[in-house]
Amino acid sequence: MFKKPICILVVLLLIPLWLSAHGVSAGDQQILDQGGLLAYLWVGAKHMVTGYDHILFLVGVIFFLKGFNDIIKFITVFTIGHSITLIGATFLGIQTNEHLVDAVIGLSVLYKGFENLGGFERVFKISSPNLLGMVFSFGLIHGLGLSTRLQSFAMSETNIFAKIVSFNVGVELGQVAALVPIIFVINRWRAWKSYDAFSKAVNSYLVIAGMGLAVFQLLQFYSLI
Amino acid sequence: MKRVLSGALLVLVLSSHDMFLKMDGYFLRPNTENTIKLFNGTYETSENVIARNRMLDVSLVGNGKRIVVDSTQWYERDNITHLRFQSGSEGTWVAGVSTKPRNIALAAKDFNHYLEHDGVLDMLTWRTENNALEDDAVERYSKHVKTIFQVGDALSMDWKTVLDYPLEFVPLENPYDIHPGHALPVQLLFGGKPLANQLVYVGHEVTASEHSGHGHSHADGTDHSHEHGTTEEADHQHADIEQLRTDDHGIIRIAIAAKGIWYLRTIYLVHSQEEGLTHESNWATLTFAVGDGHVHEHSHGESGIPSYVYWIASLLLVIGLFFWFNRKK
Repeated sequence: MFKKPICILVVLLLIPLWLSAHGVSAGDQQILDQGGLLAYLWVGAKHMVTGYDHILFLVGVIFFLKGFNDIIKFITVFTIGHSITLIGATFLGIQTNEHLVDAVIGLSVLYKGFENLGGFERVFKISSPNLLGMVFSFGLIHGLGLSTRLQSFAMSETNIFAKIVSFNVGVELGQVAALVPIIFVINRWRAWKSYDAFSKAVNSYLVIAGMGLAVFQLLQFYSLI
Repeated sequence: MKRVLSGALLVLVLSSHDMFLKMDGYFLRPNTENTIKLFNGTYETSENVIARNRMLDVSLVGNGKRIVVDSTQWYERDNITHLRFQSGSEGTWVAGVSTKPRNIALAAKDFNHYLEHDGVLDMLTWRTENNALEDDAVERYSKHVKTIFQVGDALSMDWKTVLDYPLEFVPLENPYDIHPGHALPVQLLFGGKPLANQLVYVGHEVTASEHSGHGHSHADGTDHSHEHGTTEEADHQHADIEQLRTDDHGIIRIAIAAKGIWYLRTIYLVHSQEEGLTHESNWATLTFAVGDGHVHEHSHGESGIPSYVYWIASLLLVIGLFFWFNRKK
C-alpha cells in the first residue's frame, strides 16, 4: 500500500547523501586556492546543496505552494534576502558568530514547520504572519550564515567582489538543483491518499529538526559540546 | 617571472645589508611581554645596531589602533636592536620601522659589487648595457621594515594596515589565516601606489620543530631528506631564496610550501636628478610566520553532525512519522 510513496521518500532523502559524500570541508579551501571564479561558484552550490538547514527551510516554504509562479515568487524573495546579506556582509567584512546565526537558521526551519502544521491558528489563535515578509527576513539571516561560511575561507582581495558574486550564483544554482526533485516529489504525492500523513510527517520533522539544529548550535556556542 | 636562486648568486644575496624585524616567536599570548629584534645586516646575522635618531617611525598596529612606540623601550645587545613591548589583546598585529635617508658615496667598482651582492640586478643590467660600469655613485638610501605577528587565536584586520612608508609590503591576505599549500598575494607599494616589475626576494626559514623529519619539498620542486640524529639537524635552519617579480598591480604570489617563518626583501633603486646624488634607493622587508592556518569551524560536514548521519536519522524519522500519522488517520 505504501510502497510507492516510501520509495520516493527514500530516494528524495538519499539524494543529499550522495551529495554530502563530497562534503563541504577543508578540501574546499584547496579548490578555492587552485581554481578561479568557477571554484567559488562550485563551493557555493555545494554548500547550498549539502547545507541541510537552508534546504529544509525551503522545503517548508514551498510545501503548500501549488502554482509555478508562486514558487518562483517565494524563491525569488528568499534569494533577494540572502543575496543582500551574503554579498553585503562579506564585502564589508562583517562577521557574526556562526553558531548563533546557525541557531537562528534552525529556528527558521522550526518556524516554517510550525506554521505549515497550522500552529499559529491552533496554539496562538491567530493567523500566520505574512509569509512573503517572513521569507524575506529569514532570507537575510540565511545570507548571514552563508557569508560567515564564505568568510571562513582564506580569500585574496583580488577580484573580491567577483568571488562573492560567484559564490552567490553558486548558491542559487545549488538551490535550484536541490529544489527541483523536492518540488517534483511533493507535487506527485499530492495525488495520493497518504498525502495528509506525508504532509504532517514532513512538517513535524521540520519542527523537530529545526529545534535540534538550534539547540545543537547553541550548545556549541556555549561550548557545552 | 619566477625562479629559485642557487649557487653563487644565493650566497651573494644572503650576504646583503638588509634590515629585518624578527621575533623569537610569531605566535604570542595576549598581554605578555615580548621582544622584537631589529636586524641590520642579513636575515641571519645583525652586523650593527640602529641609532634611535635614525628611526623616523616606529609603530605597532593592533586592534585598529596605531601606537607610536616610545624610543626608551629600545635597547641594544649583541649588535641587535631590541624593542620590548606588551603584546596587547588578541588579533593580528603589525610592527614597522622606517629610517631616515642617508647618503653614501661609492666607487664604481664598489657600487657594482653592491648591486650584485644585494640582488639589484635591473640597475646592474642597465649599467652594463649603457657602458656605465665605470661611473662612481652617490646614493641616498632609507629602509622600511615590517613584521606581522599573531596574538592569541582571534584574527583581526590590522595585518593589511598601510603604514605609509615610502616603500612597503602589504599582504592581501592574513598570513595567519592561511596554511601551507596556499599562494599568498603580497602587494608592493611605492609612495602608496603599486610598484610593478620590481624584483622581490622571498626566503623561508625552516626550524627543527617545524620539520617533518622525513624530507621536504623545495620551492623549485626538488625533494630531499636529511639524516636523522645528527647535531646539525637539531637546530637545522636553511633558506631557499626565491626571486619573484611584481606584476602590473605590484603583486607577487608566494607559494607557501611549508610552515615556518617567511621573509621578503626588495631594493628599489632609481637614478636621481638631485644635485650631489646619482641614485636613490628605498629598501623594504617583511617577515611573518605561517602555521596551520586559522582553525575554522564549518558546521556542515566538517565539524558538528556529519551530513550522512543527519540524513539517515532524518530519513528514519520522517518514515516513522509518516507511518504514525497514517495509522492515526
